[in-house]
Amino acid sequence: MIDLIVNGKQSTVDAHTIAELIAHYGLTGKPIVVEADGEIVDRALWKQAELRQNMKLELVHFVGGG
Amino acid sequence: MVTDHWSVGGRALSSRLFIGTGLFPNPYVQREAIRASGAEVLTFAIRRVNLEATEDDSILLHLQGESFAYLPNTSGASTAGEAVRIARLARASGLSDWVKVEISANERTLLPDPIETLKATEILVKEGFTVLPYTSDDPILCKRLEEAGAAAVMPGAAPIGTGLGLLNPYNIGLIVEEAKVPIIVDAGLGSAADVAQAMELGVSGVLMNTPIAKAKDPVRMAAAMRLAIEAGRLSYLAGRVPRKRYASASSGLEAFKLK
Repeated sequence: MIDLIVNGKQSTVDAHTIAELIAHYGLTGKPIVVEADGEIVDRALWKQAELRQNMKLELVHFVGGG
Repeated sequence: MVTDHWSVGGRALSSRLFIGTGLFPNPYVQREAIRASGAEVLTFAIRRVNLEATEDDSILLHLQGESFAYLPNTSGASTAGEAVRIARLARASGLSDWVKVEISANERTLLPDPIETLKATEILVKEGFTVLPYTSDDPILCKRLEEAGAAAVMPGAAPIGTGLGLLNPYNIGLIVEEAKVPIIVDAGLGSAADVAQAMELGVSGVLMNTPIAKAKDPVRMAAAMRLAIEAGRLSYLAGRVPRKRYASASSGLEAFKLK
């Protein structure tokens, strides 16, 4: 279990990598972009990208807008 | 329908309507309205995923199977730094390297911050984005944005969502006269008449979301906008008559008038 701040909220999840975090939220295969501690993490690296205690993550996507 | 060609950022287009994807009552109406509008460029916002409802469909899934250019905006940003961050996130999706710089200085008016917009445009152009800044209708500012490398400049007609139409057609006319890049009127349009008026001023295109999505019949309004763009553009190319102070009869032939 690891403590993270995901989309602005404190969360404790059972995940070791970004890919596992994405799977935890049911977002695998969805068109989202990940920023970890202010750096964008390319999708190709999600399986290797290790989560760190208190890491700040932003999971974002395209929504309707003008 | 007349086929009309122009280009933005190296991309050939035949529609002069950029359409926003927000505010539609449901994805079906949205898809049909986009189709009726003939738009080839869609705008989007970038937001956090709702982690409480990740099973919801991504808006992109409803638009699959057709080839649009995607124009993500930086709405939500109030500084150049925030806009640059959002632009980079949008580009990281792999869907587009176009960005509509939208930096709001005031929540009530949503008017764009001219200084932050110019700053963000300069940075993003250097990073290789195709930048279309949404800006105020100041002719000098629009020229500065062009000089900074904007692929098109997008002055507002009126504040976002107001439907007030062109508040300053004089300025829009000046901006068009001085521009070497396409000018796209973005924000505040309300009706087909507004769109035709903008096109008659010589703008290259219009961007709209609210006037179509919130119309009583969005699909029908999208069709109306498509026709208004065509009419306005033809009118502009045809060269209108000047405005005159007094009457000037359509038929002369004084000697032959019935008396």
